[in-house]
Amino acid sequence: MLKVTQSKKRLVLFIAFGWALLILSNQVGDLKLYQGSFVATYALAITSIILLTGYSGQLSLGHSALMAVGAYAGALSIFNAGLNPIVSLIIAVLAAGIFGLILGVIAARLSGPYLAGTTLALAVSLPTLANQFSILGAEEGIVFDVGPAPARFGEDFSQYKWFFWISSLAALIMVWFIANLLSSRYGRTFKALRDNSIAAELSGINVGRVKVMAFALSSGVAGLSGALLVMLISGVSPSAFPLSLSFALLTGAVVTGLYNLKGVILGGLVLVAIPEIADSLVSRIGGSEGFTTTLPGFLVSALLILAVVFTPNGPGHLIKRKHHKQKVL
Amino acid sequence: MIRNKSMRRASLVSAIVATGAMVLSTLPAQAATPGVTATEIKLGISSPLTGSAGLSYGKVPGAMKAYFNYINANGGVYGRKITLISRDDKYLPTAAATQTTNLILKDNVFALVGALGTATHSKAYKAAALAKNNVPDLFINTGFSGFTDQTKYPTTFMVLPTYAMEAKVIAKAIKDNFAGQASFLIAQDDEFGTDGVAGFKTAGHTFTLAPILYPQGSMTSARAEAALTGLSAVPGKPVVVLFGTTDVTATILKAAEKLALTTKFTWYAGSVGADANTLLALGVKPTTVNGVISASFMPDAKDLTDPYVKQFADINTKYNKGITFDNYVLAAMNSAMLTVQALRAAGKDLTRAGIMSAIEAKGSTFASAGLVPLGYSATSRIGYNGYWVSQLNEKGEGKPYGGKLVIYTTDSGAGAVEVSTFVRPTMPKNGIPTNS
Amino acid sequence: MTQFITAVLTSLSSGAIYALMSIALVLVWRSTRVINFAQAGQAVLTTYIGYDLVQKTGSYWIALAGAVISGAIIGAVIDRFFMRPIFKRVKTGPIVMIAPVVATLGLLGIIQGLIGFKWGLTSQSIEAPVSTDGFKVMGTVIAFSRFNLLVLVFVSFAMLLLTLLFQRTNIGLALRASAYSPEIARLSGIKVDTVRTLGWAIAGASGGLAGMLYIPGYFLYPNAMDLLLVFGFVAAVIGGLESLFGAVAGAMILGFSINFATTYISGKLFFPTAFIVLVLVLLVKPAGLFGSKKSRGA
Repeated sequence: MLKVTQSKKRLVLFIAFGWALLILSNQVGDLKLYQGSFVATYALAITSIILLTGYSGQLSLGHSALMAVGAYAGALSIFNAGLNPIVSLIIAVLAAGIFGLILGVIAARLSGPYLAGTTLALAVSLPTLANQFSILGAEEGIVFDVGPAPARFGEDFSQYKWFFWISSLAALIMVWFIANLLSSRYGRTFKALRDNSIAAELSGINVGRVKVMAFALSSGVAGLSGALLVMLISGVSPSAFPLSLSFALLTGAVVTGLYNLKGVILGGLVLVAIPEIADSLVSRIGGSEGFTTTLPGFLVSALLILAVVFTPNGPGHLIKRKHHKQKVL
Repeated sequence: MIRNKSMRRASLVSAIVATGAMVLSTLPAQAATPGVTATEIKLGISSPLTGSAGLSYGKVPGAMKAYFNYINANGGVYGRKITLISRDDKYLPTAAATQTTNLILKDNVFALVGALGTATHSKAYKAAALAKNNVPDLFINTGFSGFTDQTKYPTTFMVLPTYAMEAKVIAKAIKDNFAGQASFLIAQDDEFGTDGVAGFKTAGHTFTLAPILYPQGSMTSARAEAALTGLSAVPGKPVVVLFGTTDVTATILKAAEKLALTTKFTWYAGSVGADANTLLALGVKPTTVNGVISASFMPDAKDLTDPYVKQFADINTKYNKGITFDNYVLAAMNSAMLTVQALRAAGKDLTRAGIMSAIEAKGSTFASAGLVPLGYSATSRIGYNGYWVSQLNEKGEGKPYGGKLVIYTTDSGAGAVEVSTFVRPTMPKNGIPTNS
Repeated sequence: MTQFITAVLTSLSSGAIYALMSIALVLVWRSTRVINFAQAGQAVLTTYIGYDLVQKTGSYWIALAGAVISGAIIGAVIDRFFMRPIFKRVKTGPIVMIAPVVATLGLLGIIQGLIGFKWGLTSQSIEAPVSTDGFKVMGTVIAFSRFNLLVLVFVSFAMLLLTLLFQRTNIGLALRASAYSPEIARLSGIKVDTVRTLGWAIAGASGGLAGMLYIPGYFLYPNAMDLLLVFGFVAAVIGGLESLFGAVAGAMILGFSINFATTYISGKLFFPTAFIVLVLVLLVKPAGLFGSKKSRGA
């Protein structure tokens, strides 16, 4: 009885939030819609990291590569195969998921720094594969064109609003799905694995299989966020997924709490807001060229360090500590 | 699990913050022409300021700003001051896409000037929907001939000669001066490089081996040494053409120094990667730089007898303190001067459509430091359409090859390379345009 | 044939360069169980300090000494005032493994920002102390210079010296014990925190050495060692993270693979080769070539 209420509550919450976004999208300008789309996309990418690292305890530095797989798969299915954009997003998820499955099999044998190193090498080398095969468009990349909004929405329906609708909807659906998954038996299995893999094994959990599944799921989510990202820039190219993106996503995940999905929107916001804040700071203070261009990166890094030092378990726990007595987890 | 009250609170908080952030900005009333007020014109540029490309091109926005500040101090354009907003795209196509979109959506610029890079700008153009928003894309800093395609890039005006043109001029120079020797090409593996490759093909020039193409960022000293070792087996004195950025030219030349192969080859550095001062600053020996052949369409930045060069150098000293005046600064200020003339030609009632038709109608008569003609017309978005062959020396100067300045003009297609008798317009007094 | 010889020689040089970074990373790992991504930033910073010293004194060797010493100081400071508070606050969960990684990433950004503020964004170059012209062997000039030889000598020397330190001295024992099992080390009277700071100092010093040996063949700008960090890390993982010999071996394997792949197969394999080699090695030996199973646990 409790379980049904729980997931029903969640569903209602998500739908309500979705409606709120819909209404909101008619009130704000193109710039905010554009930025909002990035927030949704990053929130989704952070979800995939939380799933992999926060819930199954595997540290990957290569999420940008997984996003790239989804992005290219999506772009190819629109551009070369002429498929519907919605179908292409689904293909993005599947392609990245399958890739993650294979990667997960390799990764299951690795731990800690070895996994980190492998995913790092992947993140650096996968985008350059695009140069190998001309079908992947090399440096120029492939166009990812979801097309204009359907005619029945009217002529004034801005492209940016359309982007916002697509990315928010996709993100909402996927996050809702993952949230449900994590509060189910699977989520408990993941958590058991993360907290103590030996004990988990002893209680009958097939550690290897769970790890691989977590990897595959996380990759699928990442693939979707990758496809959404290249939708926003109208095309995929190797430079869309630099190593710094992996690091930025990790930052977002740590800042908003690795252990649960509550803060993913905040994480996305942070990733979009920091460059903005740095921008306005810079135009107010001025300064040499060297100062103004390195300030945003500097701020992100500073924020990251502050987050790790003061809220390593995410701001949710900060709020918790204030209101409740400390309970042993 | 939302069983925990404070967790639920946190999730609610983050959701509220997200939506709140979006509402916080109200829709501003749409100005008649974005970026233009009675007192100000806002222009935008997306270019690399950091990263390895920033080493060479980081100076461009600052140089343009310096020139605009000079004009602002002298009355501006019909009383309006020019503000240039510069954003760093690190030479990455996706960063260029987002930065250009920001320039349009956030900074509300009137027009873009000097957008830099082939892969970067082609992506940015599409992503920022410049065609749909009819944003003028003026005097872009790239020579990729595809940008003259008005169906794909309806608002773009080139200024640099195309890489295809340069390739054809190089091909002619090799044919005229090094006919018996082998020739090789080392080029960046993207449209910039392949545009050059296509140009050589159109000119009918075949290299002795297939061109060595390297993905941007992967030409390490080890690779350069390997490549040169391979080429060193060829007899005679082959011509090696380098079609890449300056840091790569430097890497290859330094590898040649290490292998004592500097005199084994005749070096031809494409204009993109041939700034002598940068090469020297990056550690290439003066004796190596001496004799490298290149091509240019401008006077050399060290030639202070040229009135344009002298004027820009003076502006640089006053308005761009601390920056050494070099070919990058010269080219940037030159583009800024063209921009001011375009703004003036568009008239006091400044509109986006207006400035574009003004350049089409009058652009070919604009005054500029370029030694080759500008090709703007109702049907052409081509800027400069030619080159003169130069040779670098130890002091970092580029002097006409063979001692005499010969200007060639051509097109990006199958047209012949012709000697030109072009005489450039006199510089407006004090470098301040008064055209209309 | 010359192509082959050149490939071998340039591989040796590249491998030596990667080894400089992988040694520093393994050092930090062995003494603190942290992967220090800020290593690239620290090394660049100390190289900028070295650059200033070269400008002031005109001597490369003074600059080298300065870089090494400042590297040690900076490393110690980072551990004492940065990593130690983090370790105090973060005790359980996978965040223990992740927090230091993420923190060092943040630190990397901050260091690069500071460098940008102070020295600006234009690049500089540092002249090598010995000739960078290739040796003349039987009439032909080979792709190996006195400077390449110098780098190889330094790398071998550093590796031997540091291995001796770790294996044969009491300090080395204390370093290893503190990293492997801090509680037990503390019980045996080892001042774990001080020892760890020492480990960071040594790693910082070796990073300073790395920068001054790398930059003369390249250019100096804030992101100059980013690529080296990636390849150094991959090399360290290939070698097993447990021994300095492994770090050098891994670096050589990586250097040779990349050079030969790009020379003989395709120039486009520059980055993918690193991944392929790493995966191949880890498939066969999940703890790296010279790592051992028991020390694999994070």
